[in-house]
Amino acid sequence: MRGARLASVGKSSRAPLAFSLPAWILIIPIFILPLGLGLYLSVFDKSLGFPQPINFVGLANFQSDVKNSNFYSAVKVTAQFMAIAVFIQIPIGIFLAMVLHSASKFASMFRSSLLIPMLLTPVAVALMWRFMFSSELGIINWVLDKMTLAQPDWLGSVTAAFFAVAIVDSWQSIPFVVLITLAGLAAMPVAPQEAAMIDGASTIQRIRYVTLPLLKPVLLVILLIRIIDSFKLFDIIFILTRGGPGTATQTLSMLDYNTAFTFLATSRAAAIGVVLALMSLPLYYLWKKVISVSS
Amino acid sequence: MQIKKRLAKIFVYSVLTITLLTSLFPIFWTISTSFKKRVDTFALPPKFFNFSPTMDNYKKLFSDPTFVKVYLNTILFTLGAAFLSICIGSLAAYALARNPRFRGKTTFEILLILLRAMPGVVLIVPLYDLCSKLHLLGELPVLITIITVFNLPFTIWMLTPFFAAIPIELEEAGMVDGLSTWQIFRQIVIPLALPGISAAAIFLSLLTWNEFLVPVILGDQSTQTLPVLISGFISARTLDWGPMAAASSLAIIPIAVLTVFVQRKLVVGLSLGALKE
Repeated sequence: MRGARLASVGKSSRAPLAFSLPAWILIIPIFILPLGLGLYLSVFDKSLGFPQPINFVGLANFQSDVKNSNFYSAVKVTAQFMAIAVFIQIPIGIFLAMVLHSASKFASMFRSSLLIPMLLTPVAVALMWRFMFSSELGIINWVLDKMTLAQPDWLGSVTAAFFAVAIVDSWQSIPFVVLITLAGLAAMPVAPQEAAMIDGASTIQRIRYVTLPLLKPVLLVILLIRIIDSFKLFDIIFILTRGGPGTATQTLSMLDYNTAFTFLATSRAAAIGVVLALMSLPLYYLWKKVISVSS
Repeated sequence: MQIKKRLAKIFVYSVLTITLLTSLFPIFWTISTSFKKRVDTFALPPKFFNFSPTMDNYKKLFSDPTFVKVYLNTILFTLGAAFLSICIGSLAAYALARNPRFRGKTTFEILLILLRAMPGVVLIVPLYDLCSKLHLLGELPVLITIITVFNLPFTIWMLTPFFAAIPIELEEAGMVDGLSTWQIFRQIVIPLALPGISAAAIFLSLLTWNEFLVPVILGDQSTQTLPVLISGFISARTLDWGPMAAASSLAIIPIAVLTVFVQRKLVVGLSLGALKE
């Protein structure tokens, strides 16, 4: 470690602490305190709708979560969006990155235009897709009509609404998979590829036995981030469906939001928040594992 | 062999063309809708190019003083958060980059990962309770401080590799000249890390510009940002797609322009710092 040689910041133990102090001063009231407050609120029956005396209710909020079918439906919907991310977005993204990597002409133009969707304001993006999804006069159903295909009521029917959200999320997220995979491909040593070519390996064989194994660290990072971000998916759903129709697209985040700010049940929302916080703990171990593989 | 190569080429470029159209069409559609008259927005068959463009939607937006206020709010929110993030983040990132171990380092790193992994609403529910008790709702500085913490993992992971890449000999030379730790940081490290800092500043600006949950819950009418305003269109009784598309265009055009310039630098920030460029 080169850093250890620097006496000023390296040897005295106070300097690094002092440098990270401003960050701590913000993290404590804005991250740690709310987590504690959330835990505290979760054992009371606070509600914004009825400003009555607040009572201690123990684990009742958690028990009613467990009994609540909306909660299970939200777990299921969240898991389904994660599955879309892992099994649809990642393979498509890797495929596109490999195609893009093999393009010699216009590669940077293709890459730039492919990446724009990723960074656009999700709220604005979702609103425009909502416009395109409109069942009577939207452009998507017009195209489907021209192709003599069925025209779903995109945001009004249970199955179609799920896919509408999945499509918009994929439109924004696949470019991320492409960008990171491309970075991995660009950093890849050429020697193993050449060796495989000399040995007469076909393109498919080279991808299967050389490229993908070498990309493993990069792919793990992508997997981790896509799991995290599909767990956090919120803005797009908020604009497209607000979790509806019924509870068809209500993820855990959306359920927590609706409980707190539509039904004004602060304590019940805090309890869902505690469950969500606990659910993100395994992601920490996954992250540690990914880091140990990729470095 | 020649034919096979040709076919491969055709395959590659047709896949890329389809991808290109898919990724750009919604943006084209947003921008073109923003220049359409009301009758043209819902015309079937859709009018791709054959409409007479109008600036009415933009005029309508800008004639409303609240919209101008909202745009200014968004810019202030974005610049404020990027600035605060860089100040706090470069100090912490420098400490992390230069020290294999120090008190609180492991805890700090664990907190960053959890902060990145946790859905924002988990913190927003108690923060709303806290801010309403302390009468801190609808204060722009409060929103800026909160979003700075939410974005801190990105800030730190993006900046740390840049600080780590600065040759330590330069800092040692500064020590020999009798500079203090702070002077070394201020006079030697910061200027050398400037390319990294500016890349991080752009990335953080994009994140803040797009942020929805924090300003919609913890803000009020006076701190409304563009995403909050845009989300308000859907609750309006009559969906007025023209001005809505104009507002959306004004949200996405600055980003589309910036993306082209910063795409390479984004790899580091987007990949949890686990991958280096």
